[in-house]
Amino acid sequence: MIDEIQTVWIRYNLTERTIEHLQIFTIALLLAITIGVATGLFLYRRRRYSPPVFSTLNAVQTFPDIALLILLIPLAGIGTVPTIIACVLYSILPIARNTYTGLISVGPELLEVGRAMGLVERDILMKIRFPLAFPMIAGGIRIAIVFTMGIVTLGGIFGAGGLGAPLQTGINLMRPDIIFVAGIWVGLLAVILDGIAGGIEAELKRRFGSW
Amino acid sequence: MINRLIDPDQGSISINGTAITSIDEIILRKNIGYVIQQIGLFPHMTVRENIGLVPKIEGWSHDRIEERVKELLTLVHLPPEIFMDRYPKELSGGQQQRIGLARALVMDPPLLLMDEPFGALDPLLRRQLQDEFIGIKEDIGRTIVFVTHDINEAFRLGDRIAIMHEGRIVQVGTARDLILSPADPMVAGLVGSDHLYRHLENLTVQDIMRPVSRVCLLQASTSISSAIVLMTDGGEEVAVISDGSSLSGVVWISDLLRGGRLSGTVGSYARSPPILRPDGTALSAISGMKADGDSIALVMNGEELLGIFTPDEVLRRLV
Repeated sequence: MIDEIQTVWIRYNLTERTIEHLQIFTIALLLAITIGVATGLFLYRRRRYSPPVFSTLNAVQTFPDIALLILLIPLAGIGTVPTIIACVLYSILPIARNTYTGLISVGPELLEVGRAMGLVERDILMKIRFPLAFPMIAGGIRIAIVFTMGIVTLGGIFGAGGLGAPLQTGINLMRPDIIFVAGIWVGLLAVILDGIAGGIEAELKRRFGSW
Repeated sequence: MINRLIDPDQGSISINGTAITSIDEIILRKNIGYVIQQIGLFPHMTVRENIGLVPKIEGWSHDRIEERVKELLTLVHLPPEIFMDRYPKELSGGQQQRIGLARALVMDPPLLLMDEPFGALDPLLRRQLQDEFIGIKEDIGRTIVFVTHDINEAFRLGDRIAIMHEGRIVQVGTARDLILSPADPMVAGLVGSDHLYRHLENLTVQDIMRPVSRVCLLQASTSISSAIVLMTDGGEEVAVISDGSSLSGVVWISDLLRGGRLSGTVGSYARSPPILRPDGTALSAISGMKADGDSIALVMNGEELLGIFTPDEVLRRLV
């Protein structure tokens, strides 16, 4: 059993594939966090835009990921780029929504006291709203991690490399052993990353949570 | 409204003659400490960070902030070494409100606004914080605008009390002014003017004594017979005896009658009653007299007689 796993692992370069997978994952996630938090912040500043923007992002979310990848072919071809685009499109919503909610749901008494102390809006945003929104934002990122993991894998089937590639090979060659090893490994990886993110989120909640 | 979190629809607010609308609101707020019932400590900051937030933004050095925080924690009776690095959720309600007060005082503002700061505390703790607050108030010597719905809290803590009703100031004055001469029935109802006996703690001896103008004064050399006539005609039970210019005591008509003598002077029946200060509370005066079994006391300001204080008079004034 171990031998078989080892053979598949070596034969299909799973170490390299994992690194590749995590690279795509990291780039996609960092982009998603940047854009997501920026979107959340923008919507907090311009609240009237929030209903249309969230409806749009929700619509993107309901789109099946495989369909999205296919739709991106004429725009971005196949490979890493469309995969990252798809990951980001999916992950903006949870991050932006949680950032927005976190920023606006700070206790009114804290805002009142902050203003009464003579803090300007910028200070209130940076020193009060954002820190208190951290646990919320982390929760959004955690959801994004799960999405991204799935889409990066799917992207592998569309030539993006990563752990989706050996899965594709396994399907083409009708080799359940490859599918099994790569599939379990992707799943494990997702569980591990989610676990780490969960730990960070819990720590942020302890440190910045309201009560 | 005073710190312009809300701007008034009508009327104006001035601080030392300057309309607040003409002051930059950020500068205004930095000069006004603010304490609210919900306290509003920032949960993600330690006590030190909560108190030191504005100084930090103002660019104070780390050491200076630390020193100020320690100073303030000591002022509000929380040992700095224990509380500095705690988070608000690790503090009790009373401790949190003390931190709230310390935070409001950090920039040493000339004015402090307190919006029902003790409203959410249980009665015992509230009482304790009120007592501490009276001390802190003396220590800091700042103008404090303190909003409360509890008239007794106002009487206990306030030097001057403004009664607000439907957005207007109905009356401003001391506890005595409000209790003894309420501006309208609403104020009378609020302060309980018709239940004055409840206010023994808020009223001073001077407020409910019989003033010297209504006291029967007799010279020590007055004969007993004429004293009896004078006192009976005036319906007085007791008279204050003066010997030349100095007071030598009081005399009761019952003593004179019981003595059965008509010759001699009232001076021989004079008793020396206890002396009260005019600004003591009526409650402590009455309990003192009760403990000593006295039925009359003279209210003196130094050498000057202001009036007499008798339980009868107190009852008459209060009920």
